[in-house]
Amino acid sequence: MNWADPGSFRDPASRVVLGDSTVTRILDERGLADWRALQASDFFGRATAHGRLIATTEVDAPEGAAGALAHPRIGFITYPFEWTFSMLRDAALLQLDLMLEALGEGMILKDATPYNIQFVGGRPQFIDVGSFERYRRGEPWIGYRQFCRQFLHPLLMEAWCGVPFQPWLRGDPEGPTSAQMWRLLPARRKATPAAILHIGLQARAEARLKGREVRRSLAEAGFTADLIRANVEKLRALIDDLEWDSDDGTWSTYHGCDHVARDRDLKTEFLVQALEAVSPATVLDLGCNDGHFSQVAVSRGADAIAVDGDEVVLDRLYRSLSAGTPITPVLTDLQNPSPSQGWAGVERPALFERARPDLVIAYGLIHHLIYSASIPPARVVEWLASFDVPVVVEFVAPEDPMVGRLTANKRPEELHPGRDRESFDRLVSQHFRVVREADLPGGTRRLYHLSR
Amino acid sequence: MIFAYLDPGSGSLILQAVLGGVAGLGVAAKAMRSRWRSRKGEEPAPEQSAEGTEPVPAEETQEG
Repeated sequence: MNWADPGSFRDPASRVVLGDSTVTRILDERGLADWRALQASDFFGRATAHGRLIATTEVDAPEGAAGALAHPRIGFITYPFEWTFSMLRDAALLQLDLMLEALGEGMILKDATPYNIQFVGGRPQFIDVGSFERYRRGEPWIGYRQFCRQFLHPLLMEAWCGVPFQPWLRGDPEGPTSAQMWRLLPARRKATPAAILHIGLQARAEARLKGREVRRSLAEAGFTADLIRANVEKLRALIDDLEWDSDDGTWSTYHGCDHVARDRDLKTEFLVQALEAVSPATVLDLGCNDGHFSQVAVSRGADAIAVDGDEVVLDRLYRSLSAGTPITPVLTDLQNPSPSQGWAGVERPALFERARPDLVIAYGLIHHLIYSASIPPARVVEWLASFDVPVVVEFVAPEDPMVGRLTANKRPEELHPGRDRESFDRLVSQHFRVVREADLPGGTRRLYHLSR
Repeated sequence: MIFAYLDPGSGSLILQAVLGGVAGLGVAAKAMRSRWRSRKGEEPAPEQSAEGTEPVPAEETQEG
C-alpha cells in the first residue's frame, strides 16, 4: 500500500509517496528535467557518496507522472524545533555548501528550509533532491528570505540573544521575520554589518517593496549567479563563526552526581540483559542526558532515539557522535512533547507517532515527572504502557536524596499520593508483567524490566 | 511572475544585489531605477512568462 507523505505537497514539481518500506518521489516534466541535470552533475555523486545527500535512483514512473525516484527510508524523522543549536548550525552549513556546489555547475536550490534536512548516523543529510533546479540566468536566490527566517534568525536568536529558538520554530515553523528579528537583537549586535545587512536592511526593503515585481528588474539590471555566490559565502562564514554560550544547562553536571557514577555500571548491566532478551531494532531513550544508555543500545545493534529536554546535554551528545552512529538526538520537554501540527494538523506528525520503538528506556526520569512536573504516578505508568513495548525503568523512592532536592520547596499535601514502591508495584502490575527487577546500592532506587 | 512555489519577498530579492558586494551595488541601483521608471508609467512592466526564462544549461552560463 502507498500513501502520500503528509509533509510533501507544497512543490508541484516533486512530491513524495510512501510505502511500507519505500520512499518514491514523483516528478512532473519540469522536475524530471531538473533531476536529469542534477544526476549529470559532478557534485551529486560526491555529495551522495559522502552521505550529505540522500541516495537516489531513477525508477519507472507511475501513470500520469513524468518520472519517479526511489530513496532509502529514513528510520526516524525529526523537525528543526527538536534540534539543538549545533544541529541547526550544521544543517545550515550543509544547505549553504550544497548551494555553492550546485551554483558551480549551473544549478541552484529553489528553497531553503531545514525540513529538507534529516539527521542520519549523527550527521545532517539533505533529503529533498526535488529542491535542485537548473539556474535561470538573471534570477536571484528565491530561498534567501526563507533561509534567513528558518536558519539564520533562529541561530542568531540563540547565539546573539541567548534565547532558545525551538519554542519559536515550534510555534511558527516559518521562523521570525527580519522585522521581528531586528526588534529582538541587543543594541551591540544591531551595530554589526551582518545584522545591518541581513536583518535591518532586509526588514526595511521588505516593508517598502512588499508585493512589487522586482525579478525582471534585477535580471535586466545584470544580476548574476556570482552575486548569489558572494552572499552565500559570506553567510557561510557568519554561521560557521557563531558560538552558543551553553554552560548553564540544568542537567549538564548530572553525570557528576554521586548516585549517577555509583549506579551507572549496574544500570548498564541491567539494560544489556534487557537488550539481549528483546533484541530491539530501535530504542527510545527518554531523559537520555549524556546518551550513555543510547550508546549501550547501539553497541548491541539497535538504533537509538535519544530524547532530553535540556539543550546543553543534548547538544554535547550530538557533538560527541562519531559519523555513522545511529543515535538521533531529540530536544523535547516530555511534559509537552511535539504535537501533530502543520497543514490540517497532520503535516508534521507528533513525536510519539514518528518514534516507533521496540524498547523504551526510562532511567532517572519518572521521579522528575512525578515530583517536578506533578504528573500523578498512575498517569506516568499509563504513559509508559502506551508505547506498547517492553520498558526498562528506574523507580526512585520518596526517601531518595534527589527527591528531597526536588521537593525542597513543596509541602507534602502538594504532592500526589501513591509515590511509594508498593503503590508503584501495584500500578505496574495493572499494565505490565515484571520480567526482572534489581535494587541499586543506595537502597532507594530499583530497576524494572517490564513487558506488556 | 516567474513560477516559484515559495514567496521569495520582493525586498529580500532586491537586497541580494547589495549583499553580493561592490559589483552588486550597481545592479541594485539599476534595478531600482528601472522599477522607479516603470512606476512612473514610462514603461509598464508586463507579467513575465515562464517560457521567457528557460533554465540556462550549465555550459552556457557565465557562472558555471
